[in-house]
Amino acid sequence: MAISSATKAATDALAVNRAPVSVGAQEVHKWMQSFTWDFDKNRTKYSTKYKMANDTKEQFKLIAKEYARMESVKDERQFGSLQDVLTRVDAANRVHPKWNESMKVISNFLEVGEYNAIAATGMLWDSASAPEQKNGYLGQVMDEIRHTNQCGYINYYFAKQGQDAAGHNDARRTRAIGPLWKGMKRVFSDGFISGDAVECSINLQLVGEACFTNPLIVAVTEWASANGDEMTPTVFLSIETDELRHMANGYQTIVSIANDEAASKYLNTDLNNAFWTQQKYFTPVLGMMFEYGSHFKVEPWVKTWNRWVYEDWGGIWIGRLGKYGVESPASLRDAKKDAYWAHHDLFLIAYAMWPTGFFRLTLPTAEEAEWYEANYPGWYDMYGKVYEEWRARGCEDPNSGFLPLQWFAENNHPIYIDRVSQVPFCPSYCKGASTLRVLEFNGKKHSFSDPWGERMWLSEPERYECQNIFEQYEGRELSEVIAEGHGVRSDGFTLIAQPHTSKDGKLWTLDDIKKIGCVFADPLKAL
Amino acid sequence: MSTSANAYNAGIMAKSGKDFADEYFAEDNQVVHESDTVVLVLKKSDELNTVVEEILLGSDKANNPTLVVEDRAGFWWLKANGKIEIDCREVSELLGKKYSVYDLLVDVSSTIGRAYTLDETFTITSELMGLDVKLKDLETA
Repeated sequence: MAISSATKAATDALAVNRAPVSVGAQEVHKWMQSFTWDFDKNRTKYSTKYKMANDTKEQFKLIAKEYARMESVKDERQFGSLQDVLTRVDAANRVHPKWNESMKVISNFLEVGEYNAIAATGMLWDSASAPEQKNGYLGQVMDEIRHTNQCGYINYYFAKQGQDAAGHNDARRTRAIGPLWKGMKRVFSDGFISGDAVECSINLQLVGEACFTNPLIVAVTEWASANGDEMTPTVFLSIETDELRHMANGYQTIVSIANDEAASKYLNTDLNNAFWTQQKYFTPVLGMMFEYGSHFKVEPWVKTWNRWVYEDWGGIWIGRLGKYGVESPASLRDAKKDAYWAHHDLFLIAYAMWPTGFFRLTLPTAEEAEWYEANYPGWYDMYGKVYEEWRARGCEDPNSGFLPLQWFAENNHPIYIDRVSQVPFCPSYCKGASTLRVLEFNGKKHSFSDPWGERMWLSEPERYECQNIFEQYEGRELSEVIAEGHGVRSDGFTLIAQPHTSKDGKLWTLDDIKKIGCVFADPLKAL
Repeated sequence: MSTSANAYNAGIMAKSGKDFADEYFAEDNQVVHESDTVVLVLKKSDELNTVVEEILLGSDKANNPTLVVEDRAGFWWLKANGKIEIDCREVSELLGKKYSVYDLLVDVSSTIGRAYTLDETFTITSELMGLDVKLKDLETA
């Protein structure tokens, strides 16, 4: 009887390397990796235009036994800290209320990214042919499952142990109305799991993980600690202990295609698209969460970005690969402008649209305004004056009858949604790298905020058909939409989102919104 | 505060307001610049605090004069030219218990550079492992 190809492979491997006599992990790893199978009939959800080499290595030499032991120790330490000392010292109630709100966004959104990364790395496992590379991707699949649970757990912990649970629990129910959700799905979902497998790896591992997890999962712990939150460092720094293997996986993806002819044709375009896709969302959203969602500031967001994104990721990852033809991303200039200004632009819009969120926002205090102006000269004239006007008109008070969204309409500053990134922008009132472009396709108008996304859309417009909230709810009254989109607390009428975090401040209800008579309009219809 | 070029707030990061903006938006800084440095983030723990204080800033300090270590609340942030190496046999001796390279990885939070293990040594290097330099397997008798 003919032996199977797997049995033959094992027999051949044993002939070359006899089975290890010790249980040393790296000796076992070396032996295990000499198993090779015929991957000619590899089946992947999306194929890749690159040919991945079949001798790519895995940098950490992990076997299942060491992996499982390592991860169980991480979990013991993390859950032990949370359930013992942090609960005993009532840590969740020591968090500054503003930061408590930021964690509603950060952890809920990261959970979505981790969940999609499970599928992304499964797809990469299918695509690769080198046993060691497959081993690295497989470890990452298991990591991403762990991270999804960790992100879910931290919101559960905040909801159970801390202050103002609404939003920590069940944030997803507001996903149809929240203007930040769809952009997050573009970077954390679509960018990771749809399209060329290697392009997905560049989005997820080379840019998302090697670049943006450093501010998102490492630097965030500095902000958390400064604002009284010791749960987030406990969990997020533990998540990041797996990310270094994911960064290595991303780098080895590049190593595996470095000698493929397709790399010289496509790699720089794919890298630039991935960099722009990821930065377009992470840059303004993280900056907004750190600076506007904290009471105690660590440093200006632009410095965090300059260190982790520009100097270290740019210089140490991308710069070092220059001799292999990898170029500085063409969109870097615009990304740098965004890192300086786009989070200020986004907060202006996010605060104006606060009723559609699942978290509470707070206007900058006079002390904070001074900090912004000192670190971002020109901030007050652009943003500070507007916040003063909104506050004077009573934007925090449900009896005022004023929503900041009205200010945009009164001053003829329409808010658009960028079709590709799904990030809202106001081209007539912004300092970031956004300008309005409108294209028509199949009888429908599409707005874009930048040439980089526009170019991606032009190459595959059918990919970006997601309706934005202005199209979806055109002609509908705001309180009706909030009720339909589950944006209320368990009493059925108080909004989850609020325009302040004051314990003494009144909470807005559906009735307060209804009496204002705010109706959704699609700005593209007016063009 | 460290005056090393590898410090957390070195160079442009020490500037603020308009001075920072002028350098940040300078034409020369609109493209990435290749760097020979590496960055390591170590989660604070009983073992890692010992590694940092007793080995990296203690017995090994003379081997790597460019190494900067900064306390960033929940983690240690390290930056050096070329590479940073941690030999876990040395850590085992110091801790008085078996401590493998995989025990070390429990608390290594982030890396910028090419990180790898070989036997009981953890290395992060600016070299392009797998491209310029081959990644080695464990050599056994």
